[in-house]
Amino acid sequence: MTFKYGGYAGQVLEVDLTRGKTIDKPLDEELAWDYLGGAGLCSRILYDEIGPRTRPLGPENILIITTGPLTGTLFPQASRHVVAAKSPLTDIWGEAHAAGHWGAELKFAGFDAIIVRGRSPRPVYLWIDDGKAKIKDARQVWGHDVYETDAIIKEELGDKSIKLLYIGQAGENLVKFAAIMNDLDRASARTGIGAVMGSKRLKAVAVRGTKDIPIAKPKNYMKLMDEFHDKMLADPFTQGRADYGTPSLVELMNEIGRLPTRNYQTGVFEHAEEIGGKTIRRKYLVKARADFACLQRCGRYTCVPEGSYAYIGGSPEYETLACVGSKCGIGDVEAILYAHYLCNCYGMDTCSLGGTIAWAMECYERGIITPKDTGGLDLKFGNHEAMVQLVHMIAFRKGFGNLLAEGSYRAAQKIGRGAEKYVMAIKKQELAGQDGRAQKSMGLGNATAARGADHLYGFPVLDEVGFEKAIRERFGAKYLPEIGEKLNPKYKGLMVKECEDFAVVVESVGVCKYGTMIPPTFFYPDILRALNVTTRMGLKERDLRRIGERIVNLNRMFNVREGIRRKDDTLPERLLKEPSPDGPPKGHVVELDKMLNEYYRLRGWDLRTGLPTPSKLRSLGLQFTLNHLPKRKRAMKVKKRKH
Amino acid sequence: MPYLYGDPLKCTGCRICELYCTLCHERALNPKKARLRVVRLEPAIDKPMACRQCADPPCAKVCPTNAITRNAKADVVIIDEAKCIGCGACIEACPFGVIWLHPEKKIAIKCDLCRACVPRCPVNALSVVTSEQFANKKRVDLVERLKPILMERIPIPRG
Repeated sequence: MTFKYGGYAGQVLEVDLTRGKTIDKPLDEELAWDYLGGAGLCSRILYDEIGPRTRPLGPENILIITTGPLTGTLFPQASRHVVAAKSPLTDIWGEAHAAGHWGAELKFAGFDAIIVRGRSPRPVYLWIDDGKAKIKDARQVWGHDVYETDAIIKEELGDKSIKLLYIGQAGENLVKFAAIMNDLDRASARTGIGAVMGSKRLKAVAVRGTKDIPIAKPKNYMKLMDEFHDKMLADPFTQGRADYGTPSLVELMNEIGRLPTRNYQTGVFEHAEEIGGKTIRRKYLVKARADFACLQRCGRYTCVPEGSYAYIGGSPEYETLACVGSKCGIGDVEAILYAHYLCNCYGMDTCSLGGTIAWAMECYERGIITPKDTGGLDLKFGNHEAMVQLVHMIAFRKGFGNLLAEGSYRAAQKIGRGAEKYVMAIKKQELAGQDGRAQKSMGLGNATAARGADHLYGFPVLDEVGFEKAIRERFGAKYLPEIGEKLNPKYKGLMVKECEDFAVVVESVGVCKYGTMIPPTFFYPDILRALNVTTRMGLKERDLRRIGERIVNLNRMFNVREGIRRKDDTLPERLLKEPSPDGPPKGHVVELDKMLNEYYRLRGWDLRTGLPTPSKLRSLGLQFTLNHLPKRKRAMKVKKRKH
Repeated sequence: MPYLYGDPLKCTGCRICELYCTLCHERALNPKKARLRVVRLEPAIDKPMACRQCADPPCAKVCPTNAITRNAKADVVIIDEAKCIGCGACIEACPFGVIWLHPEKKIAIKCDLCRACVPRCPVNALSVVTSEQFANKKRVDLVERLKPILMERIPIPRG
């Protein structure tokens, strides 16, 4: 039986690891209509199936891997899959995304999504071969890193073209910021989702398939894709991405004073050029490496040919260079490249890893953490040898690494002595390479993101370097020039709200934020045209916008149920109170309250509590969440009478 | 004899060619039905592979139903789908592994040199070349590289 809409495989694979059983179920058409796929599909399934009593690393947590209707198609950068579960790092909504070739292959193998429940008594991996799924023994790969696991399973199954998704040792050892990796060096990195997979003793998911992704209107489809590809390639941004990847952002961010340095003490790093895009391209680039259907090709291979940091493998992104590099005061680019390679091997989020080490370094320099705590490790800013050693120690939870494997928030709770003050995390997750003092929209976006500190949930970047035309098109000319000024908090509530709604749609259809958020080439009307020729769903633009808003609100309600309120939508004290000391943002802090008020107002959320209003939830078809809103009206009335 | 050449130094492994190929031949998206494949091997190798339209094709020789012929006019090796019995003899005979079975129809498929993929490669890694052209380009490129050294030895008046 084929699915009603094109683009979808039409089947969901449900896996019960406790019983060792798998079943195929047809994808619910209504669910596809209301949430599209990807991040949207995750939001609904997790909301329905888990809640406050779910322990993130208990067998009752659920790990979902989804693709969108455009994953595996010709839409530029249609290579994305989404993983979601309750996060062991943030204890709230957990979600991460990756590109690669795995997501597309899952659809060719006949599935839109995999839902993993329970916990296997012994290490296993999942082998999905053209519509048939098998749970297989993984004892031979347990304890191996990602690169080894990739080689061993491909050898075992006798086909090097099989696509794999896996965890490394960090996931097995339940490191709180372990990643799920795929295609060797692609990472669904954030919110410790790899630890959830490790807790289920699921080492890998291997996929291979020969099935079609059906296209509803093939003739129009080809014409439209030709148009989109030409448009993407003609964008001046594309060649820059292809030449440098995201590492060239190091130089740009340094110039605008937004490159977090020494645990966010400043936004200007004296060694920025040494760790930036130009250096990496000149000295270490092997070649640009594209993910499935990717025209941007920001992925790349790099190599340090000799010395103690020698390797060949995937290249770090900007975030890694900032988090493991400037945040730790490290200007030795080979050390950063090598640490990144190790993180890929072990399967760890470089953002949280770098953030946690940077926090430890600041505490060390301030005498809060002593050599007695670190086992003699000299954790001064810039000590790259100590940093690299810590990567090993964290992945294997050895010595001081065992404490850091809990993330900076939990480690600070344990250390005490005022260490909490230097934790640069939101909702327990470390900030990536984004100093909101230098770009106010990014400050707000990090505070409101559903998965804790996260620059990608809303990814407000159009005020970064003047995309005036796109700003006019996406938000309206009447908000210019203020909305385009990165140091001006005005209209940033609007920007973040609109960006979040669109970003979740992007993550739900299965395409990349490059090409949609930046460069701002494709917007709702383009996604809509692509969806309609691919799927024949007959969606309208207002439907798409409503789906985006629905998903953001449902994520919010997931978090509300876990106790998240306005007080949690905040930033580390440093960004709110310590003015940025250097560069263009000198003297600036993040004016969070003002922006947050605007944001809540536009969202239709209560200004005092940050709770979505019942009318907003009803208007989005989220009536089923109303029961989970705290009964606040009566409480408020009582309070008022007292005054 | 022209054939589809994929430059491994330019190819980034995005597989857009595979998708366009199936869209043109199958009106669906499915790399396993594509007439060319991009082989990715670690580290850092991406090589598009397709039929080389041999002058003396071994696949044609072993085909028991004479489904494979070299069409002199179009200068291309063609598989007649109606005659193909899906025995796979051509697949064994092909030294490049660029013929395979259609996963549903179970007949042999390979590049028919339709060229739909060529202009759509985002990095221009694909071209249709003849061996003569290939050798010419290589020869000239090499001499071009040696040019500075050779020029030093050539007594050109440098006034």
